[in-house]
Amino acid sequence: MDTGTVLRNLLTLAWLLPLAGFVAEIYALQLRWSHRLSKAPAQLAVACIGAGFLCSLSALLYWGNATEWAALKPAEHGHHAEEHAGAEHAEAEMSPVDALHPAEPEAAADAEHTAVAHAAPVPKFYAGTFYKLAQFGPLEITLDWYIDSLTLVMFTMVTFIATCIHLFAMGYMKDELTEEYEDHQVHLPGGHHFTRPGRFHRFFAFLSLFCFSMLGLVLAGNIFQVFIFWELVGICSYLLIGFYVERHSASTAANKAFIMNRVGDFGFLIGLMILITSLGTFRFFDVENDGVEQTGLFSLIRGDDGKLDVSDDPSVTKSVVYLRDSHGHRLADGTTPRTISYLLLIAAGLGVFAGSIGKSAQFPLQTWLPDAMEGPTPVSALVHSATMVAAGVYLAGRFYPMFPPEVLLGIAYIGCITLFIAATIAVVATDIKKVLAYSTISQLGYMMLAIGVGGWAAGLFHLVTHAFFKSLMFLCSGSVIAGCHHEQDMRKMGGLRHKMPLTAYTMLVGVIAIAGLAIPGVGNALFGQALAFSGYHSKDAIVASALAFSELNPNPLHNILFITPLVTAGITAFYMFRLWFMTFAGQPQDEHVYEHAHENPAIMTVPLLVLSLLAAGCAIGGEDGWLYRLLAFSETVPAVERATSARVATIVLPSHHDVHDVHGTAGGMALLAAFAGTAVAYLLYCRKVVNPDDIRRQAGGVYDFLVDKWRFDTLYDVAFVRPCHIVASWCQGFDQKVLDVVLHTSAAITVVVSKWERTFDEGMVDGLVNLVGTSTTNFGRSLRVIQTGRLRQYVMWIAVGVVVLFVALFTALPK
Amino acid sequence: MFQELLSKLLDETAQHSLRLAGPELALTAGIVLLLLGRLLSFDRFVPPHWIALIATMAAFGLSLAVFYDANRSDPEFSNHSFTYFSGLMAFDKFTALVRLFLLLFLVFVLALTVLSGIPDRDDGPDFYTLLLGASIGMLLMCGANNLLMVFLGIEMASVPSYAMAGFLKGRKQGSEAALKFVVFGAGAAGVMLYGISLLAGMLGTGDFQEIGIRMAVLFGNGEGALTDPVRATAIRTLILAVVMVFVGFAFKLSVVPFHFWTPDVFQGAPAEVGGFLSVASKAAAFALLTRLVLALMAAGTTALQDVYLTLGIAVGVIAAITATFGNLAAYSQTNMKRLLAYSTIAHAGYMLMALAAMIVLQSGRIGGDAALGERSSHAVEGLLYYLAVYLFMNLGAFSITALIRNEIFSEEIEDYRGLGFQAPILCVGMGICLFSLVGLPPLGGFIGKLLIFASLFDAGYVHWSMWAILAIGGLNTVLSLFYYLNVLKTMYLSERPTGATTVTFPALSSAGLYVILVSAPILWLGIDVSLVSNAARRAAEVLFP
Repeated sequence: MDTGTVLRNLLTLAWLLPLAGFVAEIYALQLRWSHRLSKAPAQLAVACIGAGFLCSLSALLYWGNATEWAALKPAEHGHHAEEHAGAEHAEAEMSPVDALHPAEPEAAADAEHTAVAHAAPVPKFYAGTFYKLAQFGPLEITLDWYIDSLTLVMFTMVTFIATCIHLFAMGYMKDELTEEYEDHQVHLPGGHHFTRPGRFHRFFAFLSLFCFSMLGLVLAGNIFQVFIFWELVGICSYLLIGFYVERHSASTAANKAFIMNRVGDFGFLIGLMILITSLGTFRFFDVENDGVEQTGLFSLIRGDDGKLDVSDDPSVTKSVVYLRDSHGHRLADGTTPRTISYLLLIAAGLGVFAGSIGKSAQFPLQTWLPDAMEGPTPVSALVHSATMVAAGVYLAGRFYPMFPPEVLLGIAYIGCITLFIAATIAVVATDIKKVLAYSTISQLGYMMLAIGVGGWAAGLFHLVTHAFFKSLMFLCSGSVIAGCHHEQDMRKMGGLRHKMPLTAYTMLVGVIAIAGLAIPGVGNALFGQALAFSGYHSKDAIVASALAFSELNPNPLHNILFITPLVTAGITAFYMFRLWFMTFAGQPQDEHVYEHAHENPAIMTVPLLVLSLLAAGCAIGGEDGWLYRLLAFSETVPAVERATSARVATIVLPSHHDVHDVHGTAGGMALLAAFAGTAVAYLLYCRKVVNPDDIRRQAGGVYDFLVDKWRFDTLYDVAFVRPCHIVASWCQGFDQKVLDVVLHTSAAITVVVSKWERTFDEGMVDGLVNLVGTSTTNFGRSLRVIQTGRLRQYVMWIAVGVVVLFVALFTALPK
Repeated sequence: MFQELLSKLLDETAQHSLRLAGPELALTAGIVLLLLGRLLSFDRFVPPHWIALIATMAAFGLSLAVFYDANRSDPEFSNHSFTYFSGLMAFDKFTALVRLFLLLFLVFVLALTVLSGIPDRDDGPDFYTLLLGASIGMLLMCGANNLLMVFLGIEMASVPSYAMAGFLKGRKQGSEAALKFVVFGAGAAGVMLYGISLLAGMLGTGDFQEIGIRMAVLFGNGEGALTDPVRATAIRTLILAVVMVFVGFAFKLSVVPFHFWTPDVFQGAPAEVGGFLSVASKAAAFALLTRLVLALMAAGTTALQDVYLTLGIAVGVIAAITATFGNLAAYSQTNMKRLLAYSTIAHAGYMLMALAAMIVLQSGRIGGDAALGERSSHAVEGLLYYLAVYLFMNLGAFSITALIRNEIFSEEIEDYRGLGFQAPILCVGMGICLFSLVGLPPLGGFIGKLLIFASLFDAGYVHWSMWAILAIGGLNTVLSLFYYLNVLKTMYLSERPTGATTVTFPALSSAGLYVILVSAPILWLGIDVSLVSNAARRAAEVLFP
């Protein structure tokens, strides 16, 4: 078996195991292999996802061995080589020809031989088709797989975090292991609480289904397949947010999440339609079918050199992008070259990105994510911070080659606006999970910003590191909530570190990681980087990309793209330490809560420890570390040189070299901001130098504005929800006043006509027939028992039918 | 001379025809065994349904072998049809595929009768004799290559059906329905026989291949055919003949206004028979009608282009009326079988639309647009796909109705209240069938409708009226949603009334397995389109050389 097949088999196994788990778990009670008080469904779920993790990890290691860890090597021709990088280097990095035939053993063997001589032409990705569902003319609906280092890292990350969270959830959800679960948040009339059978098995079934969908999304080899799994993760999210469906807030939040995502998906669908009509394929990669090369999306748009082949037409409306094959030749139908209008490509890119906006809760569709915290905390950790919401960023990353620079600029600004808005709201939030939710939105904004300014690898780097430290913090908050008997308000906490030290200090690791604190100067021996947790490295990379972008672009407005994330880095540090100090440090604010708080059992704390290790160390070495290099290896459009585009607006995307140049400056400033934020938080919430309540009173207007979440919900209510209700009531009125009247009238007419017809039948037809001969009458009399009239009428209809048809046809025939 | 002819005939029969007629022979052997079994009283040891099932399985195996033969790349078989039994029957991939559908369906129906036990031990041999006899008639219908065989096939399929419709002895409703069926069928057959004799008399032949040649001679090519008085008379005769033959088919397909028998018969007859009649006789009639229409159009005389176009539009209009009538009439039904009867009428309308599209496209092809040949083969492909899905979804609906009847002894929709939670497997199966009948993705019914509607859209480029019919077809899909969903609403959203029979229907029983076997292909046909659509495409392409 060649490398591609092995990787495919391993990842497919990892992908399908949770599906098998889902089927078994959802029918746990019906198939009678488990019962309501049994933990067996959870153990099955853990086994499935754990085995999936082992498969993913071995796939990653196998891939590394097969490529001789070429991805980790670029140190020699990394940023050192960049200084004298030339055209050869670019060729070496791209090697699309190898990418085209990844499955050929000769190619692989060749690669091994030449690996020593020059930068190894290791295949960038392995891809293929599982199964062809249908073919409509040239359009194929297939199930494809596409595996590159990004896929492998995502698989390993998702399955690992999911395993930790499954384990945690076994402890967290144990309340559900009962025949009569009393939901204290659902009040029935008469002062009772709602009781229902526990739904432990169902929770794990949904989690398994979610893992299956998420992994399918990552493995997908065409954009249509991505869409299918995109919707699947959407429905899983819906089911999990609304897990406590009897709570009004939960069911509303689930609806809100689902509907807002539909808004984004609408754009996604438009993008898909543009792509299929203009390009005729959904596939990412090229395939050979019966000797004919079918070029995939990436090659069509980016050719072999990663550049857009745009016509020289000065007018942007008339510019077209020439479609090319993987060798860089323009494709043609006969003599006319195949093209796609530049504006249409922008529209398709924006459309697909609209899907990302919905899923990743970016401005202006960000309002669903905080409400989604109604779901159980493990769900918040897995679905609404670490994986599903990151799918939007993943899609933007995966689809990066299809985005022209104008779309990237749009992405950058959306990310920039989002990260600021969300961070400011997080400053005033008091619900521990809501703070984390807003911080998630803000961090997703960082990732989008990075992708938008050309820092592809930086964005995905942050995606992975964020997944670790954010899932850690959510689990810590879950641990706090469970320990404090479902108290989520931070104002009632404080001093909890004495009661639950493990939770407190693992949380501190996460907080330091997200705040991006580092000890400058104390280099670590291996890489010469500042000693810091993962968040510092990835945020550093993003800020550096943003700085390079704003320096290179002449438009002064683009400085916002650097200043905002810089300022927000400070705000981030502030609100995260505020959270930690309010919860774990200082004096207990509510004796009752403090009295009953307790540390959780090992099944909940061990995942915290494991995750905290990774949150601290996964990004070790920063941009020279293994994680960053692994991801950067998959960069589909390598920023080897500056890319300038001046069609709709002048946009210069920085090269790796440009980013490297400003790295030190940007990193220093970001660190300064982070320390400033930390210091303010320490002074306000730990030393209590100034009473935060005073500040709140001073800036009353701003405070209310932030507490109202920038009043987006109110705005949407006025702009969309209410008009919708009004139109709906109009429609209902029309239905009742007009349509029903018409229907009732026509029904009445039918009754009148049928009565008349009956009279005609009984009087005329029957009477006429009765006149015909006594023999007929006698026979008829014997048949009358069985509705003579109608039977005769039936046969008469045959004759009438023939005559009418003939006359009608004959008159209709043209003379 | 005579000797030579006879030996040639014997040779052909022995080497060629008998092999191709294998499925029919197997079924005939089954009938003989069933009858002998009663005579020699070995039916006590061998239950009649086993004889019938084995005969059908054998027929299915034989037709599968022939189907593979027809689909291998051998040029002898590959792309044309050839005749056997001295030209009375024709064989090609199209026949092979429809025959395969029919026999597969027969296997399912037999399994259902065993499960639901509708013919009891005493009646078994009679019932299965009739069932197999009707099936032989249907097999003959899909291979008929001569007007004589058209009539023989249709009658052979119909006469046993009359008896089956009244099979529940002692039920007044059933006997009444059977009598209606007989009288109506006889009337329709008479009219069709008139049409056939007119056609054969005018053309001097009944052979499908000859019909085209004779028509080319009779009408010639070029303009002015319609103004020439002799030809105008001939055209009038032709139209009258076609209308009369169509009446015979319309009766079999229960097309408005020849549908009156359908609701009564379906309500009166057991649901198993209803399922059989609604699917098998329709599939065979559509196969035969397609073949006949193409034979009549084979001449390709431009003089008749307008006549063809008018006929095509007429078929389309009748199809639209049929679909609309069926769907509207289904609304107020309270009996499940009667509702399904009207739904059957509506679906005949949809399938007739595919035929209308094919005729219109072919008329455009005669007008000189050669590319339309491929498009008309798409119309037949759509029809075949629809038939394949229809096989499962309609049989599923009828068989689940029968299985529910065995549990609650009622076929009134009212009595289905709250059944969804007591017999989930039945009701989910019913849900799949009904959703597919509506044509919702991802079920097979959606793909079938999609293919037919796509052909209608193509035909719209030849004549706009096809777009109007497409719109009516689409509207009908919406209309049908309500009454199908009403059944599911009753099953799931209503409480089971107190005092009603409690139903326990385990999923892991042979009946449960049967429901799964019938409803799973509906889902599969909606997701994996390639296999059946490729077979259907190859079968359809043969008809358009």
